Amino acid sequence: MSMSATYNIINSAFLSNAAQSAVISSNVSNANTTGYSREVANIITTADGGSELGSVTREANEALLEQVNSSTSQAASQQALANGLTTLAATVSDSSSSSSTSGSTENGNSPSAMLANLQDALTTYETSPSSASAGQAVVTAADNLVSSLNSGSATVQQVREQADADMASSVSTINSLLNQYSQVNATIVSGLAAGANVDTTEDTRDTILTELSKQIGISTVANPNGSTSIYTDSGVTLFNNTASTLSFTPTQTYTAGTTGNDVTVDGVPITGASSPMPIQSGALAGLANLRDNVAPEYQSQLDQIANGVINAFAESDQSGEVPAAASLPGLFTYAGATSLPTATSATGLAAAIEVNSAVDPTQGGDISLLQNGGINGSAYVYNTTGAAGYTGRIQQMVAATTSTQSFDPSVGLGSSDTLSDYADASVSWLQAQNQQATNQADYQNTLVTQATAALSNATGVSLDTEMTNMLSIENSYTTTAKLLTTVNDMFTALLDAA
Amino acid sequence: MSASTISSSFLATALLPSIAQAQSQLSSLEVESTTGQYADIGLQLGDQSGYELSLKNQTDLLQTLTTSNALVKTNLTTTQDALNSILTDAQSAASSLTAWSSGAADAGATLQTLGVNALQSLITTTNTTSNGQYVFGGVNSSVAPMTDYSTAQNTITTAFENYFGFAPTDAAAANVTSAQMQTFLTGTFASLFSGASWTTNWSSASSANQTAQIAPGETIDASSNANQAGFQQLTEAYAMLAGFGGTELSSAAQQEVASTATSLVTQGVSSITGTEAGVGALLTRVTDANTSMSSQTTILQTQIGNLDDVDTTTAATKLNALTTQLQTAYELTAEIQKMGLAQYLPT
Repeated sequence: MSMSATYNIINSAFLSNAAQSAVISSNVSNANTTGYSREVANIITTADGGSELGSVTREANEALLEQVNSSTSQAASQQALANGLTTLAATVSDSSSSSSTSGSTENGNSPSAMLANLQDALTTYETSPSSASAGQAVVTAADNLVSSLNSGSATVQQVREQADADMASSVSTINSLLNQYSQVNATIVSGLAAGANVDTTEDTRDTILTELSKQIGISTVANPNGSTSIYTDSGVTLFNNTASTLSFTPTQTYTAGTTGNDVTVDGVPITGASSPMPIQSGALAGLANLRDNVAPEYQSQLDQIANGVINAFAESDQSGEVPAAASLPGLFTYAGATSLPTATSATGLAAAIEVNSAVDPTQGGDISLLQNGGINGSAYVYNTTGAAGYTGRIQQMVAATTSTQSFDPSVGLGSSDTLSDYADASVSWLQAQNQQATNQADYQNTLVTQATAALSNATGVSLDTEMTNMLSIENSYTTTAKLLTTVNDMFTALLDAA
Repeated sequence: MSASTISSSFLATALLPSIAQAQSQLSSLEVESTTGQYADIGLQLGDQSGYELSLKNQTDLLQTLTTSNALVKTNLTTTQDALNSILTDAQSAASSLTAWSSGAADAGATLQTLGVNALQSLITTTNTTSNGQYVFGGVNSSVAPMTDYSTAQNTITTAFENYFGFAPTDAAAANVTSAQMQTFLTGTFASLFSGASWTTNWSSASSANQTAQIAPGETIDASSNANQAGFQQLTEAYAMLAGFGGTELSSAAQQEVASTATSLVTQGVSSITGTEAGVGALLTRVTDANTSMSSQTTILQTQIGNLDDVDTTTAATKLNALTTQLQTAYELTAEIQKMGLAQYLPT
């Protein structure tokens, strides 16, 4: 071995020291960059005994990334649902500011509580049937029940409108991310083909995938050329060499009967009942579930309650003529009513229900019609003698909320129940959905935190490790420099001797 | 090697999620330790919310009924007082009649005064109101149940004239025998005080009583009405005294009037006593209903408490523990930021 070979080895040592330092610098500078994967410089021995930078490996962990992405999707889906349900639950929630020891009557603003208040008002009215103020209290309680149903229905539709708008913004986010992804992926494929270092670009690609999984559940498949294809969690292609485009036409205004548009990928719906492959997770799935299933189901329940209320307080023909005239809406009616609604044609009733203007003094009505009947004309008068203490009609109305009625079984709360039990069941249903979604969202968020921690530990930068490596390189550099001086001295001695 | 690595950025932020969680729990616990109830009862109870709501609604209904029972009680007590007063008057009338019959009978002016006073007193008492409602009106509670005596007086006189052909104040009336008088009193005259004639001549009350719900599912007759036998008998007795006492009728005929009236008053007293006993029983039922609803309310509130309430001591203890945890987390975060090899290397 010649002395000049020693120079070459020393030179390679400097070069590999520099390469390692560069990697460490890159790691340290990105210590707090989200999505950065730690790089490791692989030093190999050269044929002449020196060292050189063989390659730089990216400490990626696909399995953990997949875990982070899937739990992010689940969390986003549950969070979207929980946010909507929390808004809905606020319309029926208890007021916790009241103290139970005082026997408080703060039961919130739910149709159930308002119905109970109406029953209370009617019970008082029964004791003082000729008292105008007791009658007025009944009308006020009826007004409150109506506004509870009206505002409940309005809130449901607001939640749906908000979900629709959020879906539109989610779709545009997904499209924009897919476009970015398309460019980044192309850079990686061409970079790999040219043998360039694409580590940073790969970090960017992983970050885009995590962003994407907040909006929509995805699965990825790596191709041999370095390209990665994206599919929805239901299997619809989002990216395979080229990016698919998600289409969605927002609906501005929702009413009880409105069906929102589906999100489609290249013409295939990925949300909604007609979708062959509906997405399971991500904010988009949660919003679609809220807009198309959960909120409409609660709307149907409110509609059933409204239908039950109108029917429970309906007036029947008292004239005794055969055949009897049809029963007609009494204390409660709806805009443009000409007959009683039925349980299977109740859509939108919760928004349309109103207190009959014939009994509401503020609308020029006559409260005594409540006591005597006759809202729909003389054939419907119950108190035929006109006695001031007549309570027969009021008693019927007191019993109305606790007698069994028919409900549409497709709404999911049974087909036969008392009105007040049905209203209670509706509150239970809503709060149970809210509780479940909130708990699921908490749980999934915890999973995201844990998966992110695991991923961060597996692929992130430890400053202490990098510092230790730096010291070791520093020592190596010092030693190499010493070696160079020594070899140089030896050469000088040799040349001096000559 | 990589398995034991801790990422620096993770290490620095490791406690942030737990700090955020602790802070959100802290706000709930503050509410809970102050109010003694869950911060969000609906979220806590989930599908039990409807049950809790129905318990609260039941409690409200019981409270409403207890409140409205106070009114029912007032009405019934007023009714009872009125009946008592009618009874007292009737008993005093009966003893006056006995005294008159056994004593040296005067011309019967005493009888007339007695009858007019008793009748006016009966009419006034029967027209007693409570909360603006006539308590003996039945459901027809807005109209005074008994007609004023002056209008009814004509009816009596006319009936006498139609029967005998002359007025009781006519001198010819002296020839009416006690047997004739008895036939008239038990026949034509008595029919004025029963059935449709009663409601035409005397009473505007409805025979249907007002009803009131005093407990869930328990409805009672919360009023009385003036169409009962007792009122008819007393009115009949007082009316014959007022109408025929002190007239031209013979002493024997007036004696007949007095004895018929006495027997009617006796019947009336026993009938009114029965009505009064009935009202007393209703009052007891209202009181019993209130007692039972009060204990039901206690049970319901216990159940509501079981669902809604948190132990304030536990909440306060948790609050302290959480505060400590939060402080520790803050300190640790600060300490961890200080840790790093770079800090300990010689510059």
